[in-house]
Amino acid sequence: MMRPALALFCALCALWTGGGLLAQEEPTVPYFQSAAFNAPIPTGWQDQSRAGIAQFYQAAAQATIRTRIVPAGDVAGAVEQDLQAWLGSPVDSPVYQGKVNLADGTWRTLVYQIGDDTTASVMARPNESGIIVISFVEAHPTARIIMLTIAQAEGEQDNAQTEMAAALQTFNISGRADLSEPQTLTLPSGEWLLQSHAATAVMGRAVGNDSYIALAEGVIESLPELADAYHSSLLGFYITPDTSAFLWLGLAAVFGILGILLFSFVWRRRGLQKELVLIQALTQEAD
Amino acid sequence: MDAASQMKTAPMPRLLRILTLVTALGFAAALFLGLFIAGADSQQGPIQRIFYIHMPAFFGAFTAFGAAVVGGAVYLWRRDERWDKIALAGVEVGLAFALINLVTGAIWARPIWNTWWTWDPRLTSAAIMVLTYAAYLMLRAGIEDPRRQRSLMSVYGIFAFVSVLTTLFIIRIVPETIHPVIVGPSPQNAQGSFEATRGVAMALIPSLIVWTIFMPLTLMWHRCRLENRMEAVKRLKVQALSE
Repeated sequence: MMRPALALFCALCALWTGGGLLAQEEPTVPYFQSAAFNAPIPTGWQDQSRAGIAQFYQAAAQATIRTRIVPAGDVAGAVEQDLQAWLGSPVDSPVYQGKVNLADGTWRTLVYQIGDDTTASVMARPNESGIIVISFVEAHPTARIIMLTIAQAEGEQDNAQTEMAAALQTFNISGRADLSEPQTLTLPSGEWLLQSHAATAVMGRAVGNDSYIALAEGVIESLPELADAYHSSLLGFYITPDTSAFLWLGLAAVFGILGILLFSFVWRRRGLQKELVLIQALTQEAD
Repeated sequence: MDAASQMKTAPMPRLLRILTLVTALGFAAALFLGLFIAGADSQQGPIQRIFYIHMPAFFGAFTAFGAAVVGGAVYLWRRDERWDKIALAGVEVGLAFALINLVTGAIWARPIWNTWWTWDPRLTSAAIMVLTYAAYLMLRAGIEDPRRQRSLMSVYGIFAFVSVLTTLFIIRIVPETIHPVIVGPSPQNAQGSFEATRGVAMALIPSLIVWTIFMPLTLMWHRCRLENRMEAVKRLKVQALSE
């Protein structure tokens, strides 16, 4: 009995390995994957991720894109708790707050000024297991970089120009009156509008009913790369659905149907045994 | 020892015992590979693992229903009852496998397609296949003359296989289907498809072998033995009554 079992084990091992070699390679989509969520890894960024936290760092702008699910009650509280624990410094109330409705729910947009050098732009929304927090944190000593998502006004869905102007005004960006005419910039995430002058730049991209805006003061050269990376992180992020209940239901159905088949074999066999006993008894009586 | 006592103590053939053990171990191993070794699908979540049973169960049904075609055809040619027993065993085992395929598909569809059922060409043809073979068993039970029963059911079993072939090939013929294709490109409207990557193949191939070859073969052999026993008891009954 042991020999066929061993042979089957070896055969399955061989098939398992062979099947793996014959099949095509796993797709190399650069994604951070955890049990709860999936976040794209921006090209060229340093991966500092750890269990349950996707974190990518760009040294030139001292910028970090970080995604995690914080098990906390309210959105602002979860964001502040996460930033405080991560950066190790107290976080005051946000300097900007907004709301946008994206395909996967209503997101809060929050911007924090932490100390003199650090600016945190955050998108957050609640889900079943906590608050999803996607942060863009820039800690460059001579730069201020802000990422925003703004709902577009009715009938202005062609481009992000209105929202770019509004963002410049909201954050009182210096030199905004001298900005160049909008130019189109093609990045991996799509077409953006760019306006710049000296050490100030603003970028915008309209997607659906929302505009994605990036503002920079000080160091502006890396703004397109940063905007592209954060935008891709927002749009590429997705939650792995918990469908385990359906898997258990499916397994129960498989074992149930196979069980009924096997039970019917045993039941019919038992019935035949009983009939045989009866026949034997009748034959003996007749003899 | 009389015939009845002989039948009561008749041991299982050594080969069948080995086959049963190998099948049970293979089933457990394939299940283990699909549930614990194959990588998780980040877009579908754990339910994607049901695929390692769903697809092999269809091919198990294909083998069993194929055996019914062979059994039926050889019976019609040689009029040997043993082939009719193989055909009957094939239908019974194949129906269980086809039901597993249908039910696991519906359970997968609920979170992925947001519905338990839709009248998609593949789903509809699979349902027709199950009903066709369920009708086989009902019709067979309704025919009293054994010779007529065997001949008619052999013909039915051969023609019923058209429903199996239709189910197999319909997603490659009808482009409107939303059912994904795993080997080869999926139809344009397919929803819930995933790449047949190395991890998928590593769990799928052993599962396919176990479900397509070992499980139908073992179960059909057991079913044939049961049918032999049923027939022998029937003969003994007639004999006892005539005495």
